Amino acid sequence: MAAICFDGVSKIYGDGTCAVDALDLEIEQGEFMVFVGPSGCGKTTALRMVAGLEEISGGTITIGDRQVNDVSPKDRDIAMVFQNYALYPHMTVAQNLAFGLKLRNIDKAELDRRVNDAAAALDLADYLHRKPKALSGGQRQRVALGRAIVREPAAFLMDEPLSNLDAALRAQTRAEILKLQKRLGTTTIYVTHDQVEAMTMGDRIAVMRKGLLQQIGTPEQLYTRPANTFVASFIGSPAMNIVPAAAVGLGPGSLLAGFRPEHVEVGLIESGCFGFDAIVEVVEYLGGERLAHLRLGERSLVAKLPVDERLESGTTMSFVVPHGAVAFFDAETGLATG
Amino acid sequence: MSAIRVRRRREHPKRVTEVPTGGLVLASDWRRPSVKWGLGTTQALLLVVLVIIGLGPILWLVKAAITPTQDTLIQPMSVFPHGTDLSNISNAWTQVDIGLYLKNTIVLALGSWASQLIVSTTGAYALSVLRPKWGSLIMVLLLTTLFVPPVVLLVPLYLEIVHPPIFGGTLENNYFAIWLPAGASAFNVVLMKRFFDNLPREIFEAARIDGCGPVRLFVSIVLPMSKPILGVVSLFAVLASWKDFLWPLLVLSNPSEQPISVRLPTIQSETDLGVFLAAMLIACIVPIVGFLIFQRTILRGTGLGGALKG
Repeated sequence: MAAICFDGVSKIYGDGTCAVDALDLEIEQGEFMVFVGPSGCGKTTALRMVAGLEEISGGTITIGDRQVNDVSPKDRDIAMVFQNYALYPHMTVAQNLAFGLKLRNIDKAELDRRVNDAAAALDLADYLHRKPKALSGGQRQRVALGRAIVREPAAFLMDEPLSNLDAALRAQTRAEILKLQKRLGTTTIYVTHDQVEAMTMGDRIAVMRKGLLQQIGTPEQLYTRPANTFVASFIGSPAMNIVPAAAVGLGPGSLLAGFRPEHVEVGLIESGCFGFDAIVEVVEYLGGERLAHLRLGERSLVAKLPVDERLESGTTMSFVVPHGAVAFFDAETGLATG
Repeated sequence: MSAIRVRRRREHPKRVTEVPTGGLVLASDWRRPSVKWGLGTTQALLLVVLVIIGLGPILWLVKAAITPTQDTLIQPMSVFPHGTDLSNISNAWTQVDIGLYLKNTIVLALGSWASQLIVSTTGAYALSVLRPKWGSLIMVLLLTTLFVPPVVLLVPLYLEIVHPPIFGGTLENNYFAIWLPAGASAFNVVLMKRFFDNLPREIFEAARIDGCGPVRLFVSIVLPMSKPILGVVSLFAVLASWKDFLWPLLVLSNPSEQPISVRLPTIQSETDLGVFLAAMLIACIVPIVGFLIFQRTILRGTGLGGALKG
């Protein structure tokens, strides 16, 4: 395992498109770092630059003590798990797992041990002689993970490895990846566009947008103290409510006020809170809670309320939010203030 | 007081057997008697016609090769009117020396096949996977050669073979005179490149990270994933070499080195019809048996099952 460092890393394509813009980032040894952001934000490009699959236009990438800008992918001591599995279709599961080890001339006994250990850890022991076409989607993704872990590399790079699995299998595999990473202690960069995946898996999360790093921090830091309105609205589901501070009587027009849906309560203003009247548009019943979609003037807000809170669609009601739960952003730059 | 209800046994609709229709005709239409009988009869007739056209000449050749020559001349369509004559086959083998020409043909075909596969796979690999800087220009140049009719190249190619540049000497009456020009097939490179273009890049990237260099990637990943196109190119290469007449006639003037296709016209003038037809049968039988053995490789799909999320 090794630390990974991005120092002013940029990727500019031939047509002038800047996919990653001066990325500065340090990933500690053994850390599980998640790159998250919408499509086209540069997260996969950044990962592929670590893998050596994309040329670096500017800056340096260091794995451990070694700068790897001009090192070929096979010599970077990394293993990658692809979104679409990328298994070798003409090889059995055992051959897929062993292929990278054979190329590194690992001796037969050690190779067999690593393959069998990985197969046991990933519940693939019964499928070692099958070819990928005879496996389910979940099993194929486990083979792809196995191919990475048998190599015992300095770092794992994972490019949306769960995006092709159904919801139940995704949750299960997510837990398996986390357990595996904690057990092996290997530095991991995990790319996803799913903020739930990012929040549940990452030791730290790097939020990206249009090639620029927006914020880096623990899931809690990102959720409670977003650096700007983009992070505030991207992290958390439903997204943070962001309204002009003046619209809820909290400050001047140059500020935006942001508050999470779970901090909205039904009730009248009391000390330590601010309040507003809004029209209840739609109420969604989610079993353990209700999501109320509200209209405040021309703005839509969401409130996450207890399930016993009875709301009638079309009625105007009073809501309150504790002052401590409000974050303020500059209306022009979108950056958090204070 | 409780009412007693008698539950009626629910009647299930009659089960209908699924009819494979090939997609153009709906299963419900297929069940209509007019469609069923009309289409069924048409299909059967088409099958009979295709069998007569495709298999008829081969079956006739098999019959004529083991029929006395007089019977073939007088009653060509009769089936063994005066019994069989297997001596035609043995005469073709011993008197006409068809075994030697068959061996020559096989050696020429194998050499042409190897030469075409080596050039087309490595050329396509370079253009499709390694992608050199001037790859697109090379591709355009390759494509332009497809517009030159082969007969136009006959004389310059012959001069090259008689007096090869750089190496000197001559390649006349040398099998390399067949093998080398056979390899220079732009069509095969283009065909192979199109196939390689459609192989998933992520698998190549995974292999590179696993530790593959360009040669290992070619041998261990690209070639095993390309069995279908290798089968197709092999089929084209072997058939083209097997039936080639003009070029071997030009560059192989020594009869003991000529393939069967070049020798057959001479054999026809030197021997009787029964032996000639037996020689033709022997010439045909090798590619037919070869196709029957390798047809699954040649005709099956791309074989990428499970490599990627479908």
